Amino acid sequence: MVIAVALDESADDVREFAEGISFPVLLDRDHVLAELYAISNVPTVVWIDADGTIARPNSAEVGTDMFVDFTGVRPDEHMDQIRAWVRDGVVPADADYAVADLEPDEVQARLAFRIAAHLRRIGDEERAGTWFDRAARLAPMDFTVRRAAMPLRDVDPFGDAFFELYGEWQAAGSPYHGVPRS
Amino acid sequence: MLTVLTPGGSSTVDAAREGESLLVDPADVSVVLGWELKPEGLCRGDVCVPVRDHAALRHGDRVDLIAAAELLGLTTLVSEEPLVAAISVPAGARSRTLSGRMAADFVLPDLDGTTHSLEEFKDRKRLLVAFASW
Repeated sequence: MVIAVALDESADDVREFAEGISFPVLLDRDHVLAELYAISNVPTVVWIDADGTIARPNSAEVGTDMFVDFTGVRPDEHMDQIRAWVRDGVVPADADYAVADLEPDEVQARLAFRIAAHLRRIGDEERAGTWFDRAARLAPMDFTVRRAAMPLRDVDPFGDAFFELYGEWQAAGSPYHGVPRS
Repeated sequence: MLTVLTPGGSSTVDAAREGESLLVDPADVSVVLGWELKPEGLCRGDVCVPVRDHAALRHGDRVDLIAAAELLGLTTLVSEEPLVAAISVPAGARSRTLSGRMAADFVLPDLDGTTHSLEEFKDRKRLLVAFASW
């Protein structure tokens, strides 16, 4: 089964994605998953076996062909791999990968993000901004910290700010907590 | 008043900031952290984390929440104004689940507010998909 978790601020942001979907779609406003699983960008997929062990850890996978040119990620290959795992328990060679734990600064960044989101919710946008900035300084290559903050600060997460972040991230060697792209 | 943000949710308790310490009523330690301060240590159910130096934890009739969190392996980040403390999950637990390839359990609401856990869907293969609208 699929369990989808949206790292979003409100259920209304997510509803259009959940339309017509029968599996659980959960809302993670405080990025608990990003802390527990060391997730640094979305979409990130984790394969979990029936006994609770991880069959294939964090990997960046998408469900549509829309971004192939941009990301080089091909969804059809991932779909075939999932079918083989579900049917026969076969996992690809890259599944045997240990996800690097969060650095202390990355943990601090998640806490700072949580404080910022809380301050924004209680209407203190100015202080929220200070904490979003602090979170970004602590984990500048983390999309769950920097890009997730964009819509909360009225910045377009698909606009210039995103491409700037994407450029910085690529220049830094595309760091990601999960299975590297071959 | 202090708002505490933990991975399990938020709570508000009476607190005083004293230097680097956040002093709360001993009874509020369990409200906030889920661990109760007892003579044998910080306890949850039958499990106790020993407290070597109770005096270091206590300030008069109050308890330093930050020191208590630290004993549990939790990182705390504090906003002074307004007084807000964000507390992490245990670092050791994450490092163990990551290196041991165990799926960490979590509790989150669905879009209608009903909470679900990963554990609720156990005994079958699960594809956990983290996504976002941004």
